[in-house]
Amino acid sequence: MSDVNVETERHRNRDKRSASAALLCLLVGGCITVKAPDKPIEINLNVKVQQEVIVRLQKDAQDLIANNPELFPQ
Amino acid sequence: MTRKTIFISAATAVLATAALVLTGPVLAQSPVAQAMASGSVGEQSDGYLGVSGTVNADVRAEVDAINIKRRAVYTDLAAKRGVTVADIAAATGCQTLATRVKAGQVYRIGAGPWQTKGAAPIPLPDYCASTQ
Repeated sequence: MSDVNVETERHRNRDKRSASAALLCLLVGGCITVKAPDKPIEINLNVKVQQEVIVRLQKDAQDLIANNPELFPQ
Repeated sequence: MTRKTIFISAATAVLATAALVLTGPVLAQSPVAQAMASGSVGEQSDGYLGVSGTVNADVRAEVDAINIKRRAVYTDLAAKRGVTVADIAAATGCQTLATRVKAGQVYRIGAGPWQTKGAAPIPLPDYCASTQ
């Protein structure tokens, strides 16, 4: 019966280590928790992409106006 | 004066008058040009002409006709560049607001109010970035 309740020295060391690790964690207060965000992460690239398209088209727009002056009365 | 001289002078006078009469309507401002000068028609940031307040039927008809032709040209270019018609139209709107609106004329950004251009350049929407 005695061997059932006997903790080996290794077990005791292991327990000591995990206990001290847990204590350290609490002390440091920086336990890393991995938690998924509630909502899916949304990235809207459309705004930036549209801006670059229109900037790129400025030269074409200049030519368009120059080639169709009757459509752009002043 | 000889009869020949009189005849030539008279002919010249008739021709000159005819020239003036015939070119008169062409040289006179179109309804839209007049409306733009008076502030009832102006350029919009979306690339089309817009009407501020009430205008005559002929002004409205010409505005519509111009906008339809503009849209056709925009559609053409959009197909060539592989972009949407709205993008071409917006880019053209950036250019017209930057270069074609004179001081005293009206313009509109988006669905905003009609504003009168002063001496300073029109503050363009962000998506125009730097226009040359």
